[in-house]
Amino acid sequence: MKIRWSRTILLLTPATLLAAMLFVYPVFGVLSLTVHDGTSFTGEPIRQVFNSQLSIIVLQRTFVTAATVTLICLLMGYPMAYFMAGLSPRKRVLATYLILLPFWISVLIRTYTWIILLGREGILNKALVAIGLTAEPIQLLYTPFAVHIGMVQILLPIVILTCLTSILDVERDLVKAARILGATPAQAFWKVLFPLSVSGAATGGIICFILCLGFFVTPTLLGGRTSLLIANLIDLQVHKTLKWDLAAVMASAMLAATFTCLLAYWMLTRKRAEFATGGLAR
Amino acid sequence: MTKITRRTFGIAAGALAGSLAFSPSFAEDVTIVVNGSGGALAQTITKIFEEPFTKATGIKVRPTAPVSLPKLKAMVESGNVEWDVTELNGDDVVTATKAGWLVPIDYKAIDPDNKLPAIAKQPTALVRASYSTVIAFRTDKFGGKTPQSWADFWDVKSFPGPRSLENSPKGNLEFALLADGVAPDKLYPLDVDRAFKKLDQIKKHIPVWWTNGAQHVQLLIDGEVSMTSSWNGRITPLKNEGKPVDITFKGGALMLSYLGIPKGAKHQKEALQFMKFRMDPVASAEFVKQVPYPGFVPGMMELLDPAFAATLPTSPANAAVQFDFNSAWWADNLDAVQARWNEWLLI
Repeated sequence: MKIRWSRTILLLTPATLLAAMLFVYPVFGVLSLTVHDGTSFTGEPIRQVFNSQLSIIVLQRTFVTAATVTLICLLMGYPMAYFMAGLSPRKRVLATYLILLPFWISVLIRTYTWIILLGREGILNKALVAIGLTAEPIQLLYTPFAVHIGMVQILLPIVILTCLTSILDVERDLVKAARILGATPAQAFWKVLFPLSVSGAATGGIICFILCLGFFVTPTLLGGRTSLLIANLIDLQVHKTLKWDLAAVMASAMLAATFTCLLAYWMLTRKRAEFATGGLAR
Repeated sequence: MTKITRRTFGIAAGALAGSLAFSPSFAEDVTIVVNGSGGALAQTITKIFEEPFTKATGIKVRPTAPVSLPKLKAMVESGNVEWDVTELNGDDVVTATKAGWLVPIDYKAIDPDNKLPAIAKQPTALVRASYSTVIAFRTDKFGGKTPQSWADFWDVKSFPGPRSLENSPKGNLEFALLADGVAPDKLYPLDVDRAFKKLDQIKKHIPVWWTNGAQHVQLLIDGEVSMTSSWNGRITPLKNEGKPVDITFKGGALMLSYLGIPKGAKHQKEALQFMKFRMDPVASAEFVKQVPYPGFVPGMMELLDPAFAATLPTSPANAAVQFDFNSAWWADNLDAVQARWNEWLLI
């Protein structure tokens, strides 16, 4: 036992040191900036952020956008995962591959693609004008609509795959049993499959929500002035206005929000092992 | 493992001897780090200034990017100064000088014959280039009419279509006041309230506020906007390629760009040598032919084709229709105005 202990420590040391040096230390630097101005403790940065209408609005907007995007991803992702679960294993592998294909392309490239598609002289607007639905091009790019589309496209594969594992995880025989006992296909789905897989879908939702909170590139490239999210505001405070203390307060607020989500995730998952691993434990 | 083998000892001794032997020649093998704005511009600077400089002096140059006041602040405050020379814009110079992040420049080393005009020689920064923020527009969107002023930029009836401006109060407040009828020589101190009131009128016609030089060009070429504020050097090459775009210098903001030496820079003597080299008229003329951002290098204008010189922001005809951007006013007021700008723009 003693030998194993020292070996474990030895194996963990490099990673721990690296994480401590490059992650924990800077994070504490950021946290200390929120309450300490270099010479003494101060509540000024926190007061300034929470008194500023702009930061409150952007914080709210970030949470609302994250929630909306997560909802859209779940509404689109769960049916897709349900469809994939019904495919033969070979076809399912192919479908998984097709879903992962865009996932492997750089976020930047995928986001730029939307600029080409949604622009005033882009394909969509040209088509709309050509079929006479609108006389003038519509402003699609640089709107919250474009930001939502861009974010959903990036996050959807993650949600589909977490939903898929949770659906596959449900014992197929249970659905069969329900059918044998006289349930209609819809009843079998809503009374058996859905309740058993919804926890896995929620896991995907929480992951999606946390990722949404930190989105930067998509709102920068596809958003207009009113689709700026908290990450953009932090960038602005660091690079434009040099208010590092205010940036630190906002970053800490996001960190707290992420930890709250992780806590929710942990509370939900500790009850059930298959939930925690998205069904991978089997 | 604690025993020093003969081999390890040999290596250690060799390394020691080596470092001793090489220490005298170390001083000659200097590399200075010159921070600039990167991109295609950096390649031109490397070819025209940095490589010939290394050939002439033996001092190597490593270019870095981008220009960033926060980075300068972080470097000087942490005492770990990587840059020996950095580009700076006008109000960066004022802010950095006040904060003590720049060293005073020894003009006896850069300009021994005292030929540079006084405007080029700030105590802590040397003027490297001048450029203008001007109106750029599509020539195919207004039925042959061309905008002539910021009032035309605000006139969405005569010149329909979306517009873009930079996501910064700098310059935009001036443009708004010019559009509202303020005389160019009466701009400063800026009437901030009046400027924001005028900006309110154009706000809804601006779907996107650009943040870098490449972006506003793209917006114009893609047809996302029909008019935008723009840096003067970006549009002319596209116009020459036959794209339907043009600029007017009327109402443009004439701005200066500087070179400065960060406090605590490791090779200040070599940095001065490099800055002196940047003031060479022949190299500067060659540079301006490729990038139309002229500095105040004496003897450079005489080396240029007069027709080309007339397209530069500092040519007498163009300078006359522009206003001098007042960096000092902005350095004093940027914090407050930027905060107001952010609230105005982003809510």
